[in-house]
Amino acid sequence: MPRTLNDVPGDRTTYTPAVRDGDVVARTNGLTMRFGPVTALEDLDVTIGPGVTGLVGANGAGKSTLIKILLGLLRPTSGTAQVLGLDIASQGEQIRRLVGYMPEHDCLPPDVSASDFVVHLGTMSGLPPTVARERAADVLRHVGLAEERYRPMGGYSTGMKQRAKLAQALVHDPRLVFLDEPTNGLDPAAREDMLGLVRRIGHDFGISVLVTSHLLGELERVSDHVVVLDGGRLLRSSATGEFLEGTGDLLVEVLGGTPERDTMVAELTANGLGATAHGRLVRVAPLDRPDAQADTRTDADTRFVYDTIRDAAQRLGVGLVRLEPDRHRLQDVFADPTDTTLTEAS
Amino acid sequence: MSTPSGGGPSVIHDLGYRGYDGPRRSSFAIARTLYVTGLLHAYGFKRSNRSKALPFALLGFNLVPAAVMVGVMALTKMAPPLGYADYSLTMQVLSSIFAAAQAPVLFSRDLRHGSIVLYLARPLSAGMLAVTRWLSLASAIAIFLLAPVLLLFIGSLLAGHDVATHAQQAGKAALAVLLLAALLASITGVLSAWSTRRGFAVVGSIAVLVLGGGVVAIVQALAIDAGSSLVGQLAGLASPYTLYAGIAHALDSAAQSMTPPTGLGVLGYVLVALAVPIVSVLLLVMRFGKAAR
Repeated sequence: MPRTLNDVPGDRTTYTPAVRDGDVVARTNGLTMRFGPVTALEDLDVTIGPGVTGLVGANGAGKSTLIKILLGLLRPTSGTAQVLGLDIASQGEQIRRLVGYMPEHDCLPPDVSASDFVVHLGTMSGLPPTVARERAADVLRHVGLAEERYRPMGGYSTGMKQRAKLAQALVHDPRLVFLDEPTNGLDPAAREDMLGLVRRIGHDFGISVLVTSHLLGELERVSDHVVVLDGGRLLRSSATGEFLEGTGDLLVEVLGGTPERDTMVAELTANGLGATAHGRLVRVAPLDRPDAQADTRTDADTRFVYDTIRDAAQRLGVGLVRLEPDRHRLQDVFADPTDTTLTEAS
Repeated sequence: MSTPSGGGPSVIHDLGYRGYDGPRRSSFAIARTLYVTGLLHAYGFKRSNRSKALPFALLGFNLVPAAVMVGVMALTKMAPPLGYADYSLTMQVLSSIFAAAQAPVLFSRDLRHGSIVLYLARPLSAGMLAVTRWLSLASAIAIFLLAPVLLLFIGSLLAGHDVATHAQQAGKAALAVLLLAALLASITGVLSAWSTRRGFAVVGSIAVLVLGGGVVAIVQALAIDAGSSLVGQLAGLASPYTLYAGIAHALDSAAQSMTPPTGLGVLGYVLVALAVPIVSVLLLVMRFGKAAR
């Protein structure tokens, strides 16, 4: 599929996921990687589609190992994988022509300018020299390195280094980029910028992205799809929306501390609502009726719950601070391993 | 590239991200680019101005005696006082320093700063990378060693010496010098790739080349005293310069060698001179491959 966004300059309002060749960008089958006695990946079957895919896991979950295997830098102990329809064991060179890689660790020589370095790596990816120069300038502008691109990279801040690392991953116009912990070491503002860039690469540039992070909250916002690894196994793989859909519960915050919270819980329970303490908040379950599903709940039920909470607060004389629907968070995947929606590969 | 129909000629568009669908070069062409870049880096080109100082100062020092000899030859019409092959032997401290100082540029830098991973994530394999790097270094050293040979040869021609004899002598010396360049590139390359710290690599390489050469010379001198040619020949295998001298002597008996190899010894010298580069390149390929972890 052509990258329509690039043919119509200025038109960025339409959201088009990066689909350039079919629906599968990468796929692994029974991928296992052992380093001596340590098992980094265990019988991993995962499919990565176009757009932005978040690869989540604690440190040591096997994220970097998976990326290195997909790049053909590591030979898996067993199992197979394809990237962009190419086999990692026999077509590593073709794969490396089509993908970009931003490593997690520092990988920039301090005595070269970002401009020179990105041009050089562009030619190392097979771009003719003039094209490499043009594209390096373009890409450095996109990642937000301005005048400092001409200074030696040894004097860069962490944020600037991360941008230079991202630029070299994009210089040869790859069809897929692996971004290993791109927000590592960044302050909150720089982190926001980097996540914005990741989103743009996947949605505006038409380049599929596999981005790793151990911070789950980050990937909620930029990923179309999330793959969760835990101890080298696939814990879950699904669209980001499914992770974050509403639980049906309401969260209520009242002014004051624990005593106020507890009186609120007691009052709501007395009025027939399933209320429990949830940290500083009160969690209110939906009306317990046999056919009460999240999507079939009637307006009348919802209004009854809200009214009951309001009246309870008024009777007790406590201030209502917040009333919001409870949502799943990516953290819940780890917190509740018995979740029925898990596709555990054990 | 299609241009949008809307918008006047004076409107500047943010073109957004532009892809690239043009031609891409073969792995061989990429390797050639890397080779040339590496060769230029070894002489400080495309690097800071300061990094040109050492290689060119050394090259200058290496050429000064040759230039003086050329001048003397032009005035007196005498034969070159130092043979083509002997020149590199006499100036071995300079070529040792050159190889020791420039090998880390090609072998330590990428490994030390982790940028090797960025190369490995690109089309060239670890093997191609290591071989290309080695070729760049060997070529840089070969240029360093061949420059005075070429200068002496031109000087001899200008002084009116016989072209055929001198072409033959210079050619044989050049062949031996290429082997010496391969040996020096191998030893300094492996030391640089393993130490990854520039300082250690430089000191280690100079120690091996200069001090090692000194130890071999002492052993050879003792062997001559003791009348044991075999010990001297065996000792000569341990230093690239004595190895070079032995092979140069075998090619052209006018070349100096303290204990020149004889008979099967020549074959041994040639085998070692070929085996060292081969083993070293294999070690370098291994080292680069391991860098991906």
